[in-house]
This record gives sequence, C-alpha cells and structure tokens, in this order.
Amino acid sequence: MTFTKKRKQRMSILIAVMVIMGLLAGCGGGGGSSAQKADGTDDKSQKVQLQFYMLGDAPKDMPAIEAEINKLAEKDLNATVKFNYTTWTDWDQKYKLLLSSGQPIDLIFTADWTQYQAYAKKGAFLPLDDLLPKAAPALQKFVPQSMWDSVKIGGKIYTVPSTFKEYVTDGFVWREDLREKYNLPKPTDIKSYEAYMEGIRQHEPNMKPISLNSDIKGNLHDRYSELVTKSVGALPYGIGIKYEKPTEVYKYWGSDEQKEELNTYKRWADKGFIPKNVLNVKDTLQDQVTSGKAASIFGDNPNRFNDMVIKIKSAHPDWKLDYYPFPLTTGYATPVHPIHNGFAIPKSSPNPARALAFYEKLVTDKRYNLLTQYGIEGKNYEVKDGYYQMVGTSSTNGFPREGMNGWAWRNPEYMLFDSSFDRVKQIFADLDKIQKPDLFTGFAEDYTTYQAEKAALEQVEKQYLYPLQAGLIDNVDQGLQTFLQKANQAGLEKIQTEYTKQWETYVKEKGIK
Amino acid sequence: MAIKEDVYTRIFQILSYAIIIIASIACLLPFLLIISASLTSNESIIRDGYHFIPQEFSLEGYRTVFTFPEEVLRAYGVTIFTTVVGTTLGLFLMTMAGYVLARKDFKYRNAFSFYIYFTTLFGGGLVPWYIMLTKYLGLLDTYTVLIFPGLMTPFLIILMKNFIRSSMPEELFESAKIDGAGDFKIYYRIVLPLSTPGIATVGLFLALAYWNDWFSSSLFINDPHKYQLQYYLYNVINSMQFIAQMGAGTGVSLSNDMPTESTKMAMAIVVTGPILLLYPFIQRYFVKGLTIGAVKG
Repeated sequence: MTFTKKRKQRMSILIAVMVIMGLLAGCGGGGGSSAQKADGTDDKSQKVQLQFYMLGDAPKDMPAIEAEINKLAEKDLNATVKFNYTTWTDWDQKYKLLLSSGQPIDLIFTADWTQYQAYAKKGAFLPLDDLLPKAAPALQKFVPQSMWDSVKIGGKIYTVPSTFKEYVTDGFVWREDLREKYNLPKPTDIKSYEAYMEGIRQHEPNMKPISLNSDIKGNLHDRYSELVTKSVGALPYGIGIKYEKPTEVYKYWGSDEQKEELNTYKRWADKGFIPKNVLNVKDTLQDQVTSGKAASIFGDNPNRFNDMVIKIKSAHPDWKLDYYPFPLTTGYATPVHPIHNGFAIPKSSPNPARALAFYEKLVTDKRYNLLTQYGIEGKNYEVKDGYYQMVGTSSTNGFPREGMNGWAWRNPEYMLFDSSFDRVKQIFADLDKIQKPDLFTGFAEDYTTYQAEKAALEQVEKQYLYPLQAGLIDNVDQGLQTFLQKANQAGLEKIQTEYTKQWETYVKEKGIK
Repeated sequence: MAIKEDVYTRIFQILSYAIIIIASIACLLPFLLIISASLTSNESIIRDGYHFIPQEFSLEGYRTVFTFPEEVLRAYGVTIFTTVVGTTLGLFLMTMAGYVLARKDFKYRNAFSFYIYFTTLFGGGLVPWYIMLTKYLGLLDTYTVLIFPGLMTPFLIILMKNFIRSSMPEELFESAKIDGAGDFKIYYRIVLPLSTPGIATVGLFLALAYWNDWFSSSLFINDPHKYQLQYYLYNVINSMQFIAQMGAGTGVSLSNDMPTESTKMAMAIVVTGPILLLYPFIQRYFVKGLTIGAVKG
C-alpha cells in the first residue's frame, strides 16, 4: 500500500515538473491538419476532424450518437468530431498528460475541480477573447457578460461557462417517516439535528443516527463550516474567512470557534452517534441511508438528495426522506460559480475557430444539444408531458440522461428533467430568493512556493486532526495543542502567510468587499 | 519396519503442517469472502457487512455483470490477443537480441549491451514516453500500443544473453559455421532448441506482464472496446470510488447505474475465475521454468 502510494506521489511530482517544462517549451503545434489561414481566419472549405475530450466513461450508445452528430456537423461546419473519454481512473494524471504532451485536442472539459484556474494561469488554454466574436458570435451573446467576466483569469477568458444555474450547497437529509413516528424535531441547525439523532439512537438502537465514512473532514468539518462558521468556501490549511467579511483572514485552527466545533464532535461521539471505527468505514454516505443502515446525512446537495429519493421510492416505498437546505438557516445561498462547468480550447488545438463554432452549435442548436444530452428520441428517451422519460432501465438503456457527462453545455432553454426533479427545482427556487455570488471559486491558489510544507501538513492533518474531528480523542484541548504544535513544525505559518497574501491580492483584483 | 522417527522430526512436521495450513487458509478465506459477497444482495452487504455465509442470497451481482457480457468477453479477447501476440513476438525479438549479443565475434556487442543496459538505469520519464508514443509514433488508441512497448525488456534481454552465453560454448557456433550454417540457421537450428528453459522463463515473465498490464490501456486507449481485462475491471471499481468521493463536493450527478458492492465482487470472480481454473494445468511448467531460470539465468 505505502509503496504504491509513495510511487504515486513521486510520479505526480514528476508529472507536475514535466507539465511545467512542457508548457514552458510551448508544446508546439500538433500533428492534426489545420484549416487555419495565415491571417487567423477559418477556412471552412477544408474538412477537419475535431478532437473532443471529456471526463469519465463513454455511454454505450456513444458511436451511434457520434454518427448522428457528425452528419449534422459535416453539413453545417464541414467538420467531424471524435468524442474521447478519459474514464475516471487516474483521470487527473491523464488530464495533465493530454494538456502537456501537445496532442492535437480541440475541446476539453474544465472545472474548478479539474484545476481550470491553475492550467489557465500556466497557459495551457487558448485565450478566447478575440476568437469569440469571430467564430461564435451567438455563443458570445448567449452567455451573459457577467459570466464571461467571472471566468476570466488574468483578464482573459479561457473557458466557455455553462449557463445552467444550480446549487451544490448542503442540507440535512433525514428519514421523515422515522421523525414522524417518534415525534422528533426537524433538523434545521446543530441543536435540532442533535435532538433528532438522539431520538433515533433511543428508538432505533440498531440504526446509525448519522451516516459517516472515513472521509471525516468532508462528512463533518466541511458541512459544519458551511452551516455554522459560514465560511466563504472549503478553505484549506486552517485559514478562516467568513462570507460576510471576505477581506478578513483569520486563523481558524486554535480559535474558540474550532474548539466549539471539536467539542460538538466529541459530544456526538460520546453519545454514540459516531462509531469508533469510523475512520475505516468505506461505504458511501448515500448507500448507508438507502439501505436503511443510517437515518440521516449531515449535509448533502439537492441533486444527490433527489437521487436517493428515487432509489428509495422503488425499493422501500414506505420510507420517506426529507431535506432542509443549510442556506435557509445561514441566510444566503451561493449558486455554483461559472467556472464549475466549462469547455476550453487547449493551446495545441489545430482548429480553434472551427472548434468554437462547433461548441456554439452544441450549446445553442437544439438538435445538437438534445442529441448529446439525452440521446436519440424514441430510442433512448421520450418526452411525456414535458418531462424526460428514459426508455427501458438504466442497465438496458445505452444512453441515460446526460450520459455523455455533458454538464458543461447544458442549455436551460432545452433542458429536460425527470418528473422527480420538480422537488429539486423547488429547492432551487427557494434558494434563488436568498442567492449571493460565490466568492471563493474564482480564487486560484498557487502553492509552488510552499509545496513541501503543504505535503508535510497534509500528513499531520491525517494523523492528528482527523481523530479529533471524529471525536476519538478524550481530551480535546490537549489534542488540539498537539496538533497545532505538529502543524507549526510542518510549516503552517509559512503556508498561511503566503495563502493570505494571495487571497488579499485576489480580493483586491476582483473588487470584493 | 520403518525407522522410528525422532521426536524433533515429528515436532518439525507438525509445525510445518500447521504453518502451511494456516497460510493456505489465510489465502483461501479472502477468496471465499469474495465468492460469498458476490452472492449476497448489495443492501445486506452495506447493512450487515461481509459474511462467509450470505445473509441475503442474491444473484443480482452476476446479473448486472452479464447484462452486457460482450464487454467482459471483449476485454478478455483483447488481453488474450495481446498476451499471445506480445509473448510470441517478444520472445522472437529477445532471443535474437540475446543470441547476437552473446556472440563474441560481434564487434559492437559491448556498445549495444551498454546501450540496452543504460536504459535500465535512466529512463526518459512518463511524459516523454507518452509524447513519443502518441505524437511521433501515432499509436494512440491502437492495439499496437498495448503490445509494442513491452516487446523488448532490457532486463529480459540481458537475462537471455547471459543464459545463451553460459549454456552454449562459442565453439559450438564455430563448428556449425564450418559445417556451412549461416548465422540465421545457427540461431534457429542450434540456439533456439538449446535454450528452451531460458525461453520458458522469459516467456513466463513476458506473458505475466502482458496479462497483468492495465497501465497501457489507462494511458493510451480511449475506445472502451480496446480495454484490457485488468483495466476494464479496475475502471469499473474506480468509477464507483470516484463518484463516492468527488460527487459530493462537485455536485456532479452521474446518471449511469454504478456497480454495487456485490457487482464488484461478481466481476472479480468472473475475471479471475478462468485463470484460476487454468492454473493447476500449467503450474508444473511454471515451476520448471522458474527453477531452471533461477539456476542458470
């Protein structure tokens, strides 16, 4: 285990170095044929094949869809498209290789979680500012100017953002049937949630009151900081920034706030909500609820709550799930940042103009959009009363809804939803009333100066902080002291100073107050 | 009458039997657990954990695997094809290389040996290798890329060379030459038949490397139809993990039905099963090849 981990680590450092070197070298033009004229305009009389790169796995009916799309694209743009998929296996490594090897790639998926900001900063993508009005004027108009502005890195646009507005904010998920049966309070904050869990503990001793697994930080801390400390985002390195005061950076680790948080977990552990072996549990949070092992999730997003509802509806029709979004308690909801789903044109693209024109079709042309989002009508899906309906079941259907993972080119005007999605739409509508912009995602951290300290700190966190967050340490204050001491030895000070400096520059640049 | 065994021998025997029994149980139990889990319903695995006897018997895992049996079978086909072709071709190339390097009258053999040896010390690294294969050789998404990089393994070439040099005296080649044999004839009439133990060893290493290879698929194959078996399996399990970990933070909702615990186990059985059944029949060759290789290689 440790051997492979070490090797992976070494490999990723090696790759990182290579990526930087590759980018510095400019990675030259690819081997693909280029239809670009000397003056930069696109010569449409020349037929080209575009290379399209997506994350994840291709759906089974991909070849059929590709053929259909190519029929359209050949007529409209004199181009064909090859859809390539990375799979989810080591996708981040493959993503790096694709962008650093100078392969002819015309379109590639980008998101905050695929390091869009970092790649854009290093010059992996082509700036689209001049290309957009020439190659895709309709697309430029379709995406609101505010979105174009917020995806800018260093003053340039490198990605086409998705215009579908969604919330991945968290909320309590609980078994409503059990709550009604034992007359427990509805979870809306930590206090009522604790009371709910206590009731479950008392009446259903074989059930876990809360669904947890080994990712303690993600299960507990990240949700806590969204609900209670109202953090601007999932901040690393014990940095604290409140949403209301984005310019003020403070030290969260060691603060009274954190002590209170850790004491909460300690209390939960003492009451038996957090199992002793929690750091070894590998089951997903959702599976534990849908199988009836656990009675609640501390926080999950509306989409995944909906998935759970559908799953339970077929297997256990007598169960009921309910949801309470954190934003209703905190008072503000942040829709996903435009960076969250997008498409960029890598520097190595031989045909950037045609690629952008094709992408415009994908987003704005209904035929392209429906084909790539839902498959072939009649074969893969049907529209009933305005709702999306899958033909067959997900194991027999070769192209389930959004089977191409095409989250980036969703077009709200053409989108079809399953009838169960009404609930999510309702939640979204509630959140719309209290929406505020996401201040955190536009920030691009550059950790090259403290890479070693960062790695050391991660180890310290794993060893000393996670057990605290799982409520496994008897003396919280003492445990926290030990952790802070070790963290300081790992170079916490340097990381925090550097991070704060970067954050302050970002806040100033974007005019956030 | 048999000689009475002395007490220490007895104790030794009891001890060694006990150790071997414990060791084999330790090997068998996890496998039994996988079989049992593959026959348990997924919900029961999550609720009650793994048991040696299924708490809730269900064939749902296997049903899911065989909904699209052609995918598993195709991955099998790719792996078998690359293993057979890669091993045959690789053996041919490496015995040739070994033979040439073993001949003392080959003027540049030291230079060539060093060149080959050098690559074991200093590699180009992942990115240059990737760029070489995709950009300059254009092997992305081909079967060739699954076979080609493994054909000439420096370590195995050196092993082959040493084997030929130590088991065949230089005089043998000379006398063959006097009898009128050309270099190529010496190779296939004398060297090849005499080096079967070496070929068995090298062939075994090669075949195992091809059979277990998933990395090439992972890097160079975009077309799901060309996945090797190991990668196919790895990918299915990995997708599951990805969705569990990443999905929460990103809000990515994946509509594809994800394999459940029992499906993963069923897939493990389907993928390893045939090789397990095959193993007892070819095991004796494995043992033979390895021991000969160990002594002389």
